[in-house]
Amino acid sequence: MEKRSEILNVSALTKVFGHGETEVRAVDGVDLTIRAGELVLVMGPSGSGKTTLLTMVGGLLRPTSGSVEIGGVDIASLDGGRLTEVRRKTVGFIFQSFNLWESLSVRENVELALNIGGQNGGRARARATELLQSLGLGHRLNFRSRDLSGGEKQRVSIARALANGPRLLLADEPTANLDSKHGHDVMQLLRRIADEGNRAVLVVSHDERIREVADRVLWLEDGRLRAIGKMVRDPVCGMGLEVERSVSIEQEGRTYYFCSRGCSWEFRSEPARYLTVVETQARGN
Amino acid sequence: MSSSPAGELWVVQQGTSDPFHSLSLVEPAAIERVSGIDGVQAVVPVLSRQMNFAPPGGDEQSVRLMALDFGAFPASPDLRERFLPTQGQIVIDETLSRKTGLDEGDGLAISGVALTVAHVGPRGGDVLSQFAFVSFEDARAIFGVVDVVNYGMVVLEEGAQQGPVEAAIVDGHPDLQVYTAKEFAESVRKEIDESFIPIILILVIIGFVVGTAVVGLTIYTATIERTREFGVMKAVGASAGFLYRIVLAQAAMLTAGGFTLGVLGAMAVARLASEAVPEFATDFQVRDIAGVLAVAGVMAVLASFVPVRRVNGIDPAIVFRA
Repeated sequence: MEKRSEILNVSALTKVFGHGETEVRAVDGVDLTIRAGELVLVMGPSGSGKTTLLTMVGGLLRPTSGSVEIGGVDIASLDGGRLTEVRRKTVGFIFQSFNLWESLSVRENVELALNIGGQNGGRARARATELLQSLGLGHRLNFRSRDLSGGEKQRVSIARALANGPRLLLADEPTANLDSKHGHDVMQLLRRIADEGNRAVLVVSHDERIREVADRVLWLEDGRLRAIGKMVRDPVCGMGLEVERSVSIEQEGRTYYFCSRGCSWEFRSEPARYLTVVETQARGN
Repeated sequence: MSSSPAGELWVVQQGTSDPFHSLSLVEPAAIERVSGIDGVQAVVPVLSRQMNFAPPGGDEQSVRLMALDFGAFPASPDLRERFLPTQGQIVIDETLSRKTGLDEGDGLAISGVALTVAHVGPRGGDVLSQFAFVSFEDARAIFGVVDVVNYGMVVLEEGAQQGPVEAAIVDGHPDLQVYTAKEFAESVRKEIDESFIPIILILVIIGFVVGTAVVGLTIYTATIERTREFGVMKAVGASAGFLYRIVLAQAAMLTAGGFTLGVLGAMAVARLASEAVPEFATDFQVRDIAGVLAVAGVMAVLASFVPVRRVNGIDPAIVFRA
């Protein structure tokens, strides 16, 4: 099997905020490599450093130490102008709150990104139209972006991120503001983008559902990254958790996993109630 | 003075500064002598003085009364209608007509001399005073003078050079001073230039500063309101030049809108002001409007400086903050 090219190579990446007693190591010696065609999901609790990691990888925040290589170029050592150029040509951003230019139409949102990338006039207009049509937004080209549904907004955001042909897509909680159907659509779209093009997708999210489309899932906690084990869902509180870190019990020949003893006791007291929930969820999936 | 009969040179008493602030008294004999200089076709004696009068039923008004003694010198019917009324008649302009309510056929008296309005001419360009023309005989009676005139309007023979005639007048008549028609008109304009232009200039400067501040603050406010949108542009790779062009384009559009409204508003205000105050004369020239447009362009550039600094200071990482 042909070895795919490295798109992102993060090495010993560290970001320290404050100093002395107030020092916080938001990201602490992270190593990460992502190849073309890969979709990597980074999960972790709030405040674990996910967004700080993404911000540094995207060239929006300078690391305290370590390197971020995109396509073989260490962006941590670039000056402001070159860094802007990297963001323009090599990286595409997808945001939790979409961050569309709301006074512009759907097409103009993508067109402006193309203008920023150096394409202008009819060429940019045609490219924006083509891109939006390929994402199923051909019927919304002249709509104001503020008038779209959440799912449509996120697809416009993805079209904008793809406008200048970046090798690396960075998505910050891309499904957090979407309902389950639109969240699923966006996940599938990100998977398709990773599969189709010679590009990689790095997603940071709390959303368990993205695990389904991820090639790898990493866990970031206290600024440190590690591979994640098998994930299960607590049938009582619904929380996603690693098997190795959960409390488990056997019930009628099946094993159930819980975030705490409290949840397991709750389950034992009324198993039929929670098993119904588990079966309903299973059917829904 | 541009609507006056064509006099290339004006002869005045030595030391006369301008027709509004300096009295020129010239003997008719001097006018006769100048008439004999080579190249001079004729010298038209002119009487002129600022006079007060009260129109019937109205408040006292001031008018610059003028009289030209063409004598046997030929004058066209148009010239006669506008500047050479017969004895007992007066020609006024539209501004004085509106101020006083006088119209053709109406009677008035100046210094006891009864006059009838023979013709109402177009408005003059002088905001300080209106000109009215009477016959030379009536002017003598009104001013109470007999053997003196105020100016001599020199008409040159065809092909005669102005310079040598002027030199001959000055050389042969040390008691006289010669103005070219242009200098004479400029001496009239001088009072406006010295009295009003500095005030208007200060108002223009204040307008420029206030206009620049308004455009700048508007763009600055718009920039603050769109901080996140500018942040997104920076995040996706917009260069400083690209962002500057956006801010400048906004400032230019705002300034262009202000310029258009300003010009249209100025024209409307001028029209209203002219209705309310007859002597309020305005003249919109393409050159002046183009100048204002150029200044507006400078305002747009200056007004962009502060917002651009603000945009440059936006941290693109804000896009990741909820």
